[in-house]
Amino acid sequence: MEEIRAALAIARKDMRNLSRYKWSMLATVFIPLYQGVIPAFLFGAAFAVGGRVIGLESAIGTDNLSGFIFMGGVIAGLVATTFWSIAMSLRWEMDLGTLEPTWLTPTRHDTILIGRAIFGVGQFVVSQVILFAVGIAFFGLRFSLDIVYAVPAVAVAVVAMLGFAYLLAGIVLLIREANFFIDSTNFLFGIASGVSFPITFLPLAFQPLALLLPTTYAMDLLRQHALGARPLFDPALEYVGLIVTTLVVLPFGRWAFARAERSMRVRGTLGQY
Amino acid sequence: MTTLAADLRAFAATVRKELRTVRRYPTQWLGLIFWPVLLPASYVLMGQAFSGSDARSIAAFAERSGTVEVAGFVFVGFAMYMWLSTILWGPGTALRTEQMRGSLEAVFLTPTSRLVALFGPPAAALPTLVITFVVMGVAMWLLFGVALPLDGVLRSLVVIAFALPALYAIGTLFAAGVLRFGEIGPIVQLVRGLFVLACGITFPVLMLPGWAQAVAWVLPPTYIVQDIRAVLLRGLGLGDIAGDIAITMGLTVAFAVLAVVTFRVLERGARRSGMLGRY
Repeated sequence: MEEIRAALAIARKDMRNLSRYKWSMLATVFIPLYQGVIPAFLFGAAFAVGGRVIGLESAIGTDNLSGFIFMGGVIAGLVATTFWSIAMSLRWEMDLGTLEPTWLTPTRHDTILIGRAIFGVGQFVVSQVILFAVGIAFFGLRFSLDIVYAVPAVAVAVVAMLGFAYLLAGIVLLIREANFFIDSTNFLFGIASGVSFPITFLPLAFQPLALLLPTTYAMDLLRQHALGARPLFDPALEYVGLIVTTLVVLPFGRWAFARAERSMRVRGTLGQY
Repeated sequence: MTTLAADLRAFAATVRKELRTVRRYPTQWLGLIFWPVLLPASYVLMGQAFSGSDARSIAAFAERSGTVEVAGFVFVGFAMYMWLSTILWGPGTALRTEQMRGSLEAVFLTPTSRLVALFGPPAAALPTLVITFVVMGVAMWLLFGVALPLDGVLRSLVVIAFALPALYAIGTLFAAGVLRFGEIGPIVQLVRGLFVLACGITFPVLMLPGWAQAVAWVLPPTYIVQDIRAVLLRGLGLGDIAGDIAITMGLTVAFAVLAVVTFRVLERGARRSGMLGRY
């Protein structure tokens, strides 16, 4: 019970911090729009013939361009939340010099990460709701109500991403310049999950790597239910892939985080940056 | 020593200092390979997914963009994006960094020209930009088989020479904002986003609604990226784009005058309010 209170207190603290920076709050919606959605939408529309994106239709079985892009944005948002709001936030705490005092409180160290995950997922849900509203109003976003059948897949992906958050948090605590690492791996993770284009367009050598990521399956199931897109595999098999990869990455991430933490305590680098 | 010679020495010293600082952070060099290759490459793959390599889709794209070379279109656009980022951020970031270190007031008290403090640090970024362009050219050739013609590259250098003053004028305008507001990162993010959307950097300008196209045609980057694409991908000569170059020069004068006036006004205000020494 005490741990839940601590996690909620951390989430509240992060919320309060964000609310003090109005531009940053706006940026959570504005940056995905101008960096991802609008350029991709107009770039894709440049290939349209008679108003239909026939290339996309032959690739995934639907020419719903805005649906394809906005659904990609859901998983891209989830990945970015994991990399920046959860994993990298420990690094920012380290830079501010407050990580060591936080670590010395009687709260479990997992709780510190989970508190940030609660805030990150909350922020992710709110920004996606706003983005979808913008999409429906200005970009002709349409999708089937069957999207609700994809909710379990996205929920499992959230759990899987917590495993990746543990793993990444362990890494960013150990390396000195984490910014480039987080930025580049966030980008690669999103691409390999198929958020920008189907993974069948990746070079052949990279496609097996994409199949090791739970988000690849969640992405495919989401587009299949919401847009009627052609799935990569049988949906039941995709659920198996999603659950198995989640079951592997969650304990592995926790183990890696514990190892990194132990290494920091031994080397005394917790208070350094 | 004349004032000009002294300013040139100070300029060279500023560039040397910046290069030495950059050398101390070797991991930043990884970004020089990573982003110029993977960012445009991901867009090219996206283009392949959207076109499905269907001849009708490619023809539709060519009608709107002026070229069938999707990879070339995207890589040139992203080269412009990187350039624009450096120029927009460069002068402003230089002033902001000095302001945060507490050394801006001291720098402004020296008898050197303001141009040294403004353009010294961004000039140090030019070698990095050249490396970025070379990496992009090689990646485009190796990954997508698009080899740029040598005469086209030479013509694009002429376009770049005309474009530099325009972009530095815009950069100075933003730098002036530091003197008034201090932290201008979010504003620059916003404006960079608008430039990316308005100037046809990642998609053809024709895709924009009419009012946005009207805005695009008063921004120098729109002409610059269009002209670089024209000489590199369509084989046009400098004579064919002379009209665009003349418009770019006209806009450069307008932006430069605006930048100089704004900078002077805001600097005077910053001296009175003591903003130079705060952050």
